[in-house]
Amino acid sequence: MYQRINEVVEVVGSYTGRGFTPKRFKWQNNIYDIDQITLKNDARDGGRHLRFYSVIVKGNAYRLRFDRDEEKWLLEEVWYEG
Amino acid sequence: MKANLTPPTRITHVDINSYFATLLQQENPALRGKPIGVLKSAGRTCIIAASKEAKTFGVKTGSYLKEALQLAPHLITVPAEFDRYLDCTRRLKQIFVELSPDVHIFSLDEAFIDITHCQHIYPDAQAFGRLVQERIKQELGEWVTCSVGISHNRLLAKLASEITRPDSIFEITEQNKDAILAKVGFKDMCGVGRRLEEKLKLLGITHPYELNFWTEAELRPTFGPFWAPELKRIGAGENSHLLSLLDKQESQPMKSVGRTITGYQLCDSELHIRQTLYNLTEELIYKVRKMKMAGRHVGISLWGEEQSWYAHRTLQYHVRQTRELFKLLYNDLYQSWHRTFKVIKFGVFLSDLEFVDDLTPTLIPEWHRQERVSQAIDAVTAKYGLFSIKPASLIGFKMIRPEVTGFLGDKKYYGL
Repeated sequence: MYQRINEVVEVVGSYTGRGFTPKRFKWQNNIYDIDQITLKNDARDGGRHLRFYSVIVKGNAYRLRFDRDEEKWLLEEVWYEG
Repeated sequence: MKANLTPPTRITHVDINSYFATLLQQENPALRGKPIGVLKSAGRTCIIAASKEAKTFGVKTGSYLKEALQLAPHLITVPAEFDRYLDCTRRLKQIFVELSPDVHIFSLDEAFIDITHCQHIYPDAQAFGRLVQERIKQELGEWVTCSVGISHNRLLAKLASEITRPDSIFEITEQNKDAILAKVGFKDMCGVGRRLEEKLKLLGITHPYELNFWTEAELRPTFGPFWAPELKRIGAGENSHLLSLLDKQESQPMKSVGRTITGYQLCDSELHIRQTLYNLTEELIYKVRKMKMAGRHVGISLWGEEQSWYAHRTLQYHVRQTRELFKLLYNDLYQSWHRTFKVIKFGVFLSDLEFVDDLTPTLIPEWHRQERVSQAIDAVTAKYGLFSIKPASLIGFKMIRPEVTGFLGDKKYYGL
């Protein structure tokens, strides 16, 4: 099941021809190197533009949320087995 | 002799396999290859979508969770992500319109792509199908597959994608059409629901091809003046009237907006009923106002365990303000009825929609005062989101947020 986290994280990535690609994030003083981005999708909530990245770190799935207006990153959810 | 320059009609139907579950599996490799049941939200007990793997156990859309777990004890349940599905469908549409100008998004996970006039670019329809499959994987991920049906009309193209395996391509031609129609069941035919299928079964008709042995006059007493000829068309593998209307619908604005919600449990609280109806009305008006429209046919429906109630009214004027519509639905319609059952499902609708610019403005000062308030709320909503402002009566109420439905009844609102 996905466990809701909703904590602010720091993200490092690169801009290429296909937009921004997150490479790693820092959560609770731990560095998470992103192995794969499995899905990316956009959503709007009124005037707020949100972009979601589903990423894999060492086989575990995380959902990052980027608020494009406030330029803030959030770790939204983490997948927990069982 | 003049050569026939009209190209043969070639229509493809693209159907993403187990869309909701597949996207979740694309997102999370830990879910791939496993039986997944998608629930509308955590706590719900009805499966709204099942993964390919769950379907092999007999789990299907509409299965109750308890039954699904008996069929597939290792079933993993995950809540739906409607914003994600909508965004992915927008991206799918973008892929399709880059391939052909004639695209019709039929539902959240289906589209018709007409390549009749693109055959100089795609002379081989099967190769076009493979191209579509490849582009979808590039855009959404390697786990996202689709079935592609090809034929000379929408009915048969959709049937082709329905009966073929996941991640495959199938064509129905004039040569194999009758054999296929003699083999498939009515559940595979677009537009034929369970009740129609049961009526057909009572007449001994179990395959579409058998309709060719009935005349329209023989079918009319059971099925009426619309369905008798429609069934004959289906039996002959011709485009159904409903599917041929899609082109007309494309160019027409929305005529109605509705919203229903099923609760978690039966509700007997008048306060909760009132709050739920207000919430749904607010969402309805938000959509109508965003499209710059107003409607004059209002309706409300409530369902209990086995009972239901429905009321509607056609007005002499158009409405487009939340309080105005809520007053009609709740004060006038709902409160004129004596409720006799607990409510599990709520519904409101506004139809006979017209663009505001086409309507004669009202001269009533109170309406204009309310309209200024509504416009101020519109501005706040546009910036901060729906329900950023809510009435005091909804404080403490867990707001029901908009959700997109699989069949995309309000796709024009979403720009699809």
